Amino acid sequence: MTIIIGGVLSLTSQVLGPAQKKSIELDTKSQILGAVMQLNKKQDDVLGIYNQRIISLVVDYTGTPIVKDRKGNPIIPEDVNVIRNFKLAKENRELPVYKFMNAENPDKVEAYILPLYGNGLWNKIYGFIALEEDFNTVKGISFGHVQETPGLGARISDLEIQNRYKGKTIFEGDELVSIEMLKGEKRDPSLFGPHEVDGMSGATLTANGVNAMLKDYLDCYKGYIEKTKNQR
Amino acid sequence: MELLSLGIKSIFIDNMVFAYFLGMCSFLAVSKKVTTAIGLGAAVVFVLAITAPINWLVQEYILQEGALSWLGAGFADLNLEFLQFIMFIAIIAAMVQLVEMVVEKSSPALYGALGIFLPLIAVNCAILGGSLFMIQRDYSLSEASVYGVGSGLGFMFAIVALAAVREKLKYSNVPDGLKGLGLTMLITGLMGMAFKSFIGITM
Amino acid sequence: MSTETLDPVVVKQPAEPLFSKRRRKFIADPLSDDNPVTVQVLGICSALAVTVKMEPTLIMAISVVFVIVFSNLMISLLSNLIPGRVRIIVQLAVIATFVTLISEVLKAYNYEMYKVLGAFVGLIITNCIVMGRLEAFAMANKPWDSVLDGLGSGFGYAWVILTVAFFRELLGSGSIFNIQIYDSSLMPTNGLFVDSIGAFMVLGILIWIQRTKSGYVEQ
Repeated sequence: MTIIIGGVLSLTSQVLGPAQKKSIELDTKSQILGAVMQLNKKQDDVLGIYNQRIISLVVDYTGTPIVKDRKGNPIIPEDVNVIRNFKLAKENRELPVYKFMNAENPDKVEAYILPLYGNGLWNKIYGFIALEEDFNTVKGISFGHVQETPGLGARISDLEIQNRYKGKTIFEGDELVSIEMLKGEKRDPSLFGPHEVDGMSGATLTANGVNAMLKDYLDCYKGYIEKTKNQR
Repeated sequence: MELLSLGIKSIFIDNMVFAYFLGMCSFLAVSKKVTTAIGLGAAVVFVLAITAPINWLVQEYILQEGALSWLGAGFADLNLEFLQFIMFIAIIAAMVQLVEMVVEKSSPALYGALGIFLPLIAVNCAILGGSLFMIQRDYSLSEASVYGVGSGLGFMFAIVALAAVREKLKYSNVPDGLKGLGLTMLITGLMGMAFKSFIGITM
Repeated sequence: MSTETLDPVVVKQPAEPLFSKRRRKFIADPLSDDNPVTVQVLGICSALAVTVKMEPTLIMAISVVFVIVFSNLMISLLSNLIPGRVRIIVQLAVIATFVTLISEVLKAYNYEMYKVLGAFVGLIITNCIVMGRLEAFAMANKPWDSVLDGLGSGFGYAWVILTVAFFRELLGSGSIFNIQIYDSSLMPTNGLFVDSIGAFMVLGILIWIQRTKSGYVEQ
């Protein structure tokens, strides 16, 4: 009987394997592209767009590209386990960078998309931030969460909240100050400086989690940002 | 510090009973007594503490993609994750058998007190749940071990508290339709609300 | 003179109709009087964590029905071949196989739901209803009867969790199947319905109503 069960399950796994890989790939890649464009997973050719416009690589804390993963195999940026790396000290993390290339001019970088991961109020939060070529202005941001409160912390997945980050800057001169989501919700955009966004009423703790996540990860990529700027 | 924080979190906030309601089936149907609750709770702590690390090792070195590479380069591509459920439940069942034998030999009194619960622990949602959550959250080995003990303890506190309340309820006037399971649900909800207050703990 | 004995007249029993009264009871009873969740106190574990929204609950319900029906069928077919001592192990193995099947299919074709349900698909293995029906029914009954019993218990479980999910999603997130009905931030539920606490409350009240209707009193 063991043989039959083993056989049935192996067969299923083989048959369904490709479909599963595709599902996971689709999921990861739409999340990445979600930082810079509005996608409909069912209608748009996510994988096609991704292949055409994204060049991905992995760097370490100093900004040096990493070519091999910890087991010695060639590293695949989309497969880097962000969760596992989050638990490591910043100096030891594998940091994927997704370069979003211009549609007309495939050699020009339109945006740098960087993954984010952190602690929300109840459970984990994650997302992607897209920085313009100047590494300063935010082109877009996308957030996801595991279990924040609907109507409160869960609003970070809403477009309205994510759009608040567009156009904000992360550097003040040469200092990386990140962007802070303030406490309380005032709804008047003119009140906020270039490094601040309006908060979410009743969801201060989730907002704090977002702020910590941004600061943490932007700090990780500082090495890469400086190296790339110096090479220009 | 992280581990301590995880431990506290798994006992009070991510409680097996109040957050996920796992492991209650057999208990609810069979007993209202505090003494049985303590016994069952202790058994769950023990089994969880053993199975979480063992299942972690199985996942890491046998099931994962590329896990079997220690056998030889040819096995590096193998992904046996589809065998996860079967392997986990088999290991849990085996561990429970072991615990049963050890308890029977070393403490017949405890064995008698636990009675039917011991074999039932193998199909206790909380045990399998512990292992599956640990994989889902990508814990390391030490995190998994702390989580195993912590969630077991949380489970024990919860069912002992519930049994205590239910024992007292014997003397109350409860509407017929609400007696038993219905009331237990409501009590658990209220206690869960109380446990929510622990969310403020940060280490 | 030969003695002729008359052969006793043998009346051939007509085969029991597929949906005879007895068989219809297999499906009908668990829906109300003998509901696995509210009356038999089984299968509650997963009933709470997944019922936050209706879509994952529906997927869960379908999965559970699938596992119960096919496990019942398989065990019923194999019941004569299983030696008594390894009974539990064989049952667990069969259940685990079907759950793995469903999990793999979900991972391939509905990855969104797979992520939302997470570990709870695996927890169907320890869902007391599945094991309970195998032991109480499938081991001793014919395959078609077992299938019907599986359908009955499965649907009994399904309607209970779908009802809980209906209230939790409506009152907690203001939507049904992700179609926004009203702005949930207007309703001061404090996130309780989305949390497991709301589930306990709704389930408790549901059990109260159902048991009052069917007259079952737990001792």
